[in-house]
Amino acid sequence: MDIFLQQLANGLTIGSMFALVALGYTMVYGVMRLINFAHGDMVAASAFVGLTIYTQVMGEAASLGAVIAIFLLTAVSMAVIGVILERLAYRPLREAPRLSAVVSALGASLVIQNGVMLIWGPRMRIFPELVPQVYWEFGGVVISMIQVIILVLSLVLMIALYLFVEKTRMGAAIRAASIDQDAARLMGIDVNRVIALIFIIGSSLGAVGGLFIGLYYRGITFNMGWQYGLYAFIAAIIGGIGNIPGAMLGGMLLGLFNAFIAGYVSSTWADAFTFILLIGILIVRPTGILGERVAEKV
Amino acid sequence: MNTVQRFGPPLALLVMAFLPFALNPRWQAVAITFLIFSVVALSQDIVLGKSGMFNMGQALFFGMGAYTTAILNAKFGWPMLATIPLAILIPALFGIILAGPIVHLRGDYLLVTTIGFNIVFVQVLQNDLGGLTGGPNGIFGLDPLSLFGTNLTSQVAVYYFAFAVLLLTLWVMRNLEKSKPGRAMHYLREDQLAAESIGINTRVYKIFAFGLGAGIAGLAGTVYATQYAAVSPEGFDFIQSVLFFAIVIVGGSSVSGVLLGVFIMFVLPEIFREFATWRFFIFGFAMILAMILRPRGIVPATFGKIPKFLIKGDSHGA
Amino acid sequence: MARNELILTDVTKRFGGLTAVDALSLTVKEGMIYGLIGPNGAGKTTAFNNITGIYKPEEGSIKWRGEEIRGLTPYQIVDRGIVRTFQTIRLFSQMSVAENIMSGRHIKSSQKWWHGIIHTPGSKRDELANWRKVEEQLDFFKLSEYAATATCSLPYGLQRRVEMARAMAVEPTLLILDEPAAGLNDKETLELLQTIYQIRDKGVTVLLIEHDMDMVMELTDYLTVINFGKKIAEGTPAEIQKNPAVIEAYLGSEDDDDE
Repeated sequence: MDIFLQQLANGLTIGSMFALVALGYTMVYGVMRLINFAHGDMVAASAFVGLTIYTQVMGEAASLGAVIAIFLLTAVSMAVIGVILERLAYRPLREAPRLSAVVSALGASLVIQNGVMLIWGPRMRIFPELVPQVYWEFGGVVISMIQVIILVLSLVLMIALYLFVEKTRMGAAIRAASIDQDAARLMGIDVNRVIALIFIIGSSLGAVGGLFIGLYYRGITFNMGWQYGLYAFIAAIIGGIGNIPGAMLGGMLLGLFNAFIAGYVSSTWADAFTFILLIGILIVRPTGILGERVAEKV
Repeated sequence: MNTVQRFGPPLALLVMAFLPFALNPRWQAVAITFLIFSVVALSQDIVLGKSGMFNMGQALFFGMGAYTTAILNAKFGWPMLATIPLAILIPALFGIILAGPIVHLRGDYLLVTTIGFNIVFVQVLQNDLGGLTGGPNGIFGLDPLSLFGTNLTSQVAVYYFAFAVLLLTLWVMRNLEKSKPGRAMHYLREDQLAAESIGINTRVYKIFAFGLGAGIAGLAGTVYATQYAAVSPEGFDFIQSVLFFAIVIVGGSSVSGVLLGVFIMFVLPEIFREFATWRFFIFGFAMILAMILRPRGIVPATFGKIPKFLIKGDSHGA
Repeated sequence: MARNELILTDVTKRFGGLTAVDALSLTVKEGMIYGLIGPNGAGKTTAFNNITGIYKPEEGSIKWRGEEIRGLTPYQIVDRGIVRTFQTIRLFSQMSVAENIMSGRHIKSSQKWWHGIIHTPGSKRDELANWRKVEEQLDFFKLSEYAATATCSLPYGLQRRVEMARAMAVEPTLLILDEPAAGLNDKETLELLQTIYQIRDKGVTVLLIEHDMDMVMELTDYLTVINFGKKIAEGTPAEIQKNPAVIEAYLGSEDDDDE
């Protein structure tokens, strides 16, 4: 029972991080039908950017104010980079066949990933201890303050995003563009603005996710984005690509699955099992658990 | 057919036939790697370029062939060359089995499942399944090539082995172009519905493409195992698949395009050693630019290979 | 031996709440030139898509030569001698005319999958024989000078001809044409008419959708008229022209070619 609860706690934490990253994928895919391969690398880059902001800008201060500032500055930086990425690598290919955009996304991924390597070096760096190492114990289960913060903050952000997309005008514009870009354009929606907004939101959430990864795992490497990003994309597919609540659900489920496999079966097989699960879902129910919100042209 | 097109390829092959004698050992090794990776990239072209399937897991089959050879040689004492048939058949079989459930998926999903297969494969290798795959360190200490009882330990021998495999691959691909299955792959790539509606069982040919590509990649794996006398999981992780994928798209679905892509990706960094760390960074930009400027690749596929007796009057090809 | 007849019985196709084809029944007899007409959006192409296996109808039966073909895949239906063209022309646009027509020989070719890897004398003979058949189609459709030209660079009228040549290369028993005259000028339409007659003379049954009323009345032996997915009339061209239900359905229709 202990193992179960412990893995539950771990799973929810990891799941929240997956969910934050998955949201970036699902929003971009929803509107542009594009797997933004660079997203995972942006998440990884966020951790490094956060690290540098901490050391260079904040002078290694770890007060609450400083931490909030680090989060905000990182999110803003990544949002800017995200918009630039879209302008340079994706916008010129809006009308091109899907394959071109896929390759461009891969290229962007390589650029960002290797850009991080060239700037921060190929070796693992240690992420600063921004959150005090406080642990609580509930009958055999250990929960850290970091986990609580990740869980709570992720939940807040996800609810905020959900409300934004469902209740605001801009959110409706995003939903409309997801269903049919051309129709949305004809209805007077500025699709370029919507896309820029998606990248801003997605990159910001991804940035928060990246900082969480740094806080949780402490060791960060320039190529951690690919694997992580792949997992997050799987989460988005599981939940139904293009579906925002789906991405959140998918992320949580994936995190739980991964944690339980690691806990009960073996951590060295966790990846393999996760992918087998994904492949199974794609074959059996390709529209995901909550269903796709992506109109398919017949 | 202008002079370059007519004499270029045979000339290039002639040069490659005598190349090892002009190179020192370090460059011989580079040339062998070029040959091996060209074969894998050409096998990727069969699935991606000719059949239009977003396969990003070709390193899996490459690795399967390499490991088949390694296991048969190291654990069961088979001579290296004797492992070739199985190193082709086992990946080919897996190609067919894995393709079956996924070829109907749409592009992006197919892509992710192939990456998934690749990742599962590498984990299987790393976890030393059945005590056969040797764990993270792989399998080493493989025998050199031996022909009629004599060991051919020189690198030049390996080079000619690799060269022979490349020639075989080119020959098979040429046969493919002038055949019913080969054309079927083009048709289903261009317009799957039209292909089905003219009588082509697209599913069968997609699976065939996967199997054929897998078998050829497996053969390249044997050469790889021979070159290094060892195999290990890192050589076959999904990042390699990404590279093969990119080479075909950026280079273009033609023999020259693919070879050019392999050259840029693997040989050029050897020439410009200082650039090694910048290799992927630059390649990433190249990929983005290539898609914006030359979406069909640097040397795109050409059509219009029809028998001469059909070409009448003043028309001049596609 | 079953006659070369296509019999639709109460074929119904729904998309969610929309009934695109509603209990459609018709019989195409051997050697006929049969027309399926109706206002835009009446469900004609959908009906064709059901026959050729792109959709599977929810209800009803489609029998060809006495065999039920409902639910078969498109290539299985071609295997049974039914070939179609598309309203929007679906050629393999980057490929040459000859290669496009050669795709029609796919199902007739005896090559197996291994001939993609290694040729045999038999497979080489098969290749040659099929390219000769392509040559026949090029001659018949007067496309010989364009054999090596990419179809995307051809004018519309020629592309239509290539599509028909491709379909005829399959040596079909029943040829289904979806708006073959769309986008053609008068001269080209006349040529099309002659071509269809020649095709019928070769023993091929023809089923077509067409909006050009002059052409339809001249060309067809028998017609079924549908509107909103339902059949509203059937008969010879002369009968259909006088049918009040048909006239009413077409009131306000834009497709009559008046000289």
